[in-house]
Amino acid sequence: MPDLLNDNVKQQIRTVFTKLQGSVHILFFGSQENCEYCEETRQLIGEVTSLSEKLSLGIHDLQADAILAAQYGVDKAPALVIAAQDGETVTDYGVRLLGIPAGHEFTSLIQDILLVSSRESGLSQVTRDFLKTVNKPVHLQVFVTPT
Amino acid sequence: MAMENALIRAEMVEATEFPELANRHNVHGVPQTTINDGAANVVGAVPEDSLVDAIRQALK
Repeated sequence: MPDLLNDNVKQQIRTVFTKLQGSVHILFFGSQENCEYCEETRQLIGEVTSLSEKLSLGIHDLQADAILAAQYGVDKAPALVIAAQDGETVTDYGVRLLGIPAGHEFTSLIQDILLVSSRESGLSQVTRDFLKTVNKPVHLQVFVTPT
Repeated sequence: MAMENALIRAEMVEATEFPELANRHNVHGVPQTTINDGAANVVGAVPEDSLVDAIRQALK
């Protein structure tokens, strides 16, 4: 299959990725069942992670790697978990993308990678102080469409 | 926001691939941010404070 990202876009992303600080490990979860965009997402994330040495990628299957999927709370495919990697340790910040990151969402993917790499939320002190007081699960789902 | 607290999980959900999920939360305009399975909803791209308010609402 030819590359999904053209050379121009790849070069731009490579440049953006020179700002990466901490290493980022991405877990891709696909499925053999009912997943129209799994293959394309898999290819796309492979191309993205090849653009920086600070990025690594794990390819997993919802069914074959059910225990790992449960550990990350992933039950849909395609799913991307954007995690921090420090040496041997992978830290989950709870950042996920469900569905193919196309259109606007491609920018979200790149920004999520940069965010996790920075290890900081970039939010105001007021917001951060509030978030530290949260003691119950908060599940944020942002619905988007690929325009 | 997910970066700040291990109890917070943030997902981008591509609505056309998961229509049952989008329908369950009555998603019309995007982006729509649904909190804790519908305890609160925010439509549109909103500033940080609005999202904080929505989270407070959802946790009541």
